[in-house]
Amino acid sequence: MSERTSGTDTGTGADTNANASTDTDTPSDAGQFASEAGQFGSEMSGETVPYGEPLVEIEGLKKYFDQSSGLFSGVSVDTSQFPPISVGEERVKAVDDVTFDIRRGETLGLVGESGCGKSTLGRTILRLLEPTAGRISFKGEDLATLSGEDLRTKRSEIQMIFQDPQASLDPRLTIGQIIEEPMHAHGMLDDEGREARAKDLLERVGLDPHHYNRYPHAFSGGQRQRVNLARALSVNPDFIVCDEPVSALDVSIQAQVLNTMERLQDEFGLTYLFIAHDLSVIRHISDRVAVMYLGNIVELADKEELFENPQHPYTEALLESIPVPDPRETGARGVLEGEVPSPVDPPSGCRFRTRCPRLIAPEAYEWTDEEWAQTRAFMRAVKRRTFEPMTAAELRADFFGGTLPQGEPGRIVEEAIELVATDHESAAEVTQAGQQGETATDGGQATAGGGQSRVVAWNSATTLLLESFAEQSICARERPAYEIEPEYGGESHFTACHLQR
Amino acid sequence: MSAEPLLRVEDLKTQFFTDAGTVRAVDGISFEVYEGEIVGLVGESGAGKSVASMSLLRLIESPGEIVGGEITYKGETIFGLEEGPDGELREREDMLTNEEVRTRIRGNEIAVIFQDPMESLNPVFTVGSQLREFIELNRDLSNGAARQEAIDMLREVGIPDPEERYEEYPHQFSGGMRQRVLIAMALACEPSLIIADEPTTALDVTVEGQIIDLVDELQQKYDTSFIWVTHDMGVVAEICDRVNVMYLGEIVEQAPVDELFYDTKHPYTDALLDSMPRPDRTVDELDPITGVMPEAISPPSGCRFHPRCPDARKACKRIHPENREVARAEGYPHRAACIKHDVFGSDYEESVPIENGAGADQQTPASATDGGRGESERTDGGEHDE
Repeated sequence: MSERTSGTDTGTGADTNANASTDTDTPSDAGQFASEAGQFGSEMSGETVPYGEPLVEIEGLKKYFDQSSGLFSGVSVDTSQFPPISVGEERVKAVDDVTFDIRRGETLGLVGESGCGKSTLGRTILRLLEPTAGRISFKGEDLATLSGEDLRTKRSEIQMIFQDPQASLDPRLTIGQIIEEPMHAHGMLDDEGREARAKDLLERVGLDPHHYNRYPHAFSGGQRQRVNLARALSVNPDFIVCDEPVSALDVSIQAQVLNTMERLQDEFGLTYLFIAHDLSVIRHISDRVAVMYLGNIVELADKEELFENPQHPYTEALLESIPVPDPRETGARGVLEGEVPSPVDPPSGCRFRTRCPRLIAPEAYEWTDEEWAQTRAFMRAVKRRTFEPMTAAELRADFFGGTLPQGEPGRIVEEAIELVATDHESAAEVTQAGQQGETATDGGQATAGGGQSRVVAWNSATTLLLESFAEQSICARERPAYEIEPEYGGESHFTACHLQR
Repeated sequence: MSAEPLLRVEDLKTQFFTDAGTVRAVDGISFEVYEGEIVGLVGESGAGKSVASMSLLRLIESPGEIVGGEITYKGETIFGLEEGPDGELREREDMLTNEEVRTRIRGNEIAVIFQDPMESLNPVFTVGSQLREFIELNRDLSNGAARQEAIDMLREVGIPDPEERYEEYPHQFSGGMRQRVLIAMALACEPSLIIADEPTTALDVTVEGQIIDLVDELQQKYDTSFIWVTHDMGVVAEICDRVNVMYLGEIVEQAPVDELFYDTKHPYTDALLDSMPRPDRTVDELDPITGVMPEAISPPSGCRFHPRCPDARKACKRIHPENREVARAEGYPHRAACIKHDVFGSDYEESVPIENGAGADQQTPASATDGGRGESERTDGGEHDE
């Protein structure tokens, strides 16, 4: 699996060297960073990795969750098979084989919808969650195998900022104590030194050092997030995972905090993994952007390239969905059909294929584009039950404009139509049962009975269509991973879509 | 522009009486909603937009109270005060009783869609039965007819296989599907006005897009008017016809959507637009609004935005501008509450600019921002320390 996705390893030597020399900010950053080091007199272990080189390398990372933790959690009941009880674990594949790297000094944006696994990925990288498989290399050392004291010591170099600035601050500690706590834990400086550093950090994150003795409740949301920043910075980390750091803040406050984060990145030579669902924020803060869908990274490219030249249909749909703050922008929205499938049993091949508006036609048949588009629409409509029962003629007219596709596909479609249409033999008894149900006095029960056989017919039509078409597509058979030539910037562009084949 | 507005709000004031003092959550706002239009109510958290929208249905509970103003809906007075013989304000006689508001207005005439669809649905009843009950009560239909109507409504809002899903419980629905159910519920009695309070804020961006498209479609079909409460200027641009921008309990700008974005008349709206990262282009440097919104318990003197305003002058500390018409567009007024406009006839031009830390470094916003208490002192020029 991981060879296939190795395309995400964009940090080839030539690439990054070119990047470092074109990036004019880099030298001055480094200089400033060095002076920081002198000022605080603390060890700068990050100097081993030059700017632009991979600081964190993630390879084939997986994180699966057991679904529940009860006595019978491993037991599942399925009456359609014998024996009806099976013992086996259903595991939620929150992060499933992810490979990419984060370069020193950059901000890598990680964007996706809720449930796509982006926060789990962030936490697994920090080893707050135990990875199921894979390698997390930080400065060449594999975090996934570290444990105990070694891991604890390593934690001073990697920090995290959480979404809810309220919940992540202990209300019983003053902000001074909060900021000093990580230094305590890592045995940095003496009492006076810690206080001086805490006050200095307060000033650097844009707070008044005189507020050292105040409690978190006295601060607004934006200010609390600044306290979180100061706390993360106290142990001089190289790498900070920011999990939706500005989502809970108002727009005007959001801008203040984002600007502060960018300034601190320059001052302290930080590397950010910036997790967010808001594409506008991601576009503003990131250097490179990774898009996640259902536990996989579907596209990773330079920010400008990703936003201006998206190649994955999911990225395109995501970008089209954002409401643009411009009333004269009347771009059509590509509305995504359906919902995200369950991560317990994700689709084979490309995970987005069940919703993809550009699912590739199975090669086994001869298709015109129109025939395939019609069949695809019909297949999904049957699967999602988005239309009302109607006659076969109506179905043909509604979905195929009256003419079914030629040859074998046409025959399969015809069979499916027979199953779901109201005027065919196979469906006749279904309709009858349904009508009886409606006329019966105790409506609910009888309708449910009629619905039952209707459901069976629909299910077999769905299975027939999916097995004949969707499962035959290359999208279902192979997991995509392609490296393409970018139009913007010199970075490589990874996209997990077979349209690039 | 049709002659009579569907809803007219005049000088509405809602206050909360707390131990710490009186919170003027909504402080004299006026706006109209005409038939078939979507009116935005936009602002940051604490601006008073939710309190304002709930006041329209008299859904304010103690310690909150509507203390002034007039709300007229289709010629009926939802709220109105008059001066009694003893000089005290009392409720006017033509004002609808609580009973009338409950039975005739809420649900039937004005419906609400809330932000969190999980909180608005009862987890122990099936989605269908909740929808059916609502229709049964409000439209006087028999159980069976209401059930059919409920299924039709579910289908109408794009829920696949509505007959089967009728029997399911709210937790079996995704967030987007739940919001669709609430839209179905709101539309079920074919109200003339729907108040949508941040209906897409809790949703993912692709689902948000679906819901916005659905509302657009249904709005054209049923010709329902909407009051769309949101903090997201993107959603405003996408869906609203006219917009009211709220700041600290007041409407500071009111304009058709195109004018609001392209001919902005209030510095707050301007600043808000500048501080947003854009999805459609890369912005190198964000221009945040300095400071935070003060608390409504002790608003600044004069113009409430003056401590954060880049255009503020001495006169702004003194004069409290009302939302006056400064231009007309598409037959609608473009109102703004800022004395820099000539119609106010103030001495803004001659007045001395105030230094608001605009252009100063990043520390200014935060060091001066622990709530409203310090806010007014700070603007007198001092660094606000304890």
